[in-house]
Amino acid sequence: MPETTVPGPDAGDENRVELSAPATPEMMHLVHAVLEQLWSQHEDVSMVDRMRFEMAVIEILGNIVEHAYAMESGGTERRFDVRLTATDAALVASFGDDGMPNTIDLSDVAMPDEEAESGRGLALAMAAVDDLTYDRSAGRNHWRLTCLRQPG
Amino acid sequence: MIEFAVDTTPEGIGVVTPKGRLNMSSARGLKEILDGLVSDGTSKIVVDLAETTFLDSSGLGALIAGLKAARQSGGDLRVARPTEAVLTVFKLTNLDRVLRPRDSVEGAFDA
Repeated sequence: MPETTVPGPDAGDENRVELSAPATPEMMHLVHAVLEQLWSQHEDVSMVDRMRFEMAVIEILGNIVEHAYAMESGGTERRFDVRLTATDAALVASFGDDGMPNTIDLSDVAMPDEEAESGRGLALAMAAVDDLTYDRSAGRNHWRLTCLRQPG
Repeated sequence: MIEFAVDTTPEGIGVVTPKGRLNMSSARGLKEILDGLVSDGTSKIVVDLAETTFLDSSGLGALIAGLKAARQSGGDLRVARPTEAVLTVFKLTNLDRVLRPRDSVEGAFDA
């Protein structure tokens, strides 16, 4: 089992939780758990903000996992790391991963029609949060999503 | 983590209750259950979402796939009692019309 790190609340900055793990669907529940840890440290975050942030975080993770698998022919394990930060003003998630580059232009992302069985992930993430950025540098993908906190 | 409860009513309606989070790692399980019901001849299905605490685009995809399979077999798939988190996803994706939430499992096929 590859190393998975989930720092406890005593790991330093209580505004921040971090996770580094293999980019596989099974890691979804770990990210949900890390979010629960963040909320337990920030009980003042409203349910609406928790919901839209979690929604976007999970969609971006889904995108990372898909692209990680797309590159897996060589058998190299792909990993991602994520840092989740809560302040009085905003909730921020920063992802890094070594999967395939993402070729989607975020300005072109639109919700597919009702009959579509896939293709809603990024559109849903963008609808849920206030800002979503993607860039590729040093052979890694970087996603950052920001949810401005609304008065509870 | 997720569990699925699957029942059939005396009227022959399949009732599927996902208990937990429907995300990329659990949506496949829902799709298999819905496909199984339809291929076994149960084409009227209610998905009871009262215990579904989270839904992502993969879970939505499984619901839409189930809806299409049920309709192709002459039935339908209806959703009942969504939690607020699930309802928010329906609205953000404009699927609250095609997946119109019903107030109860028993009455999901009344109208």
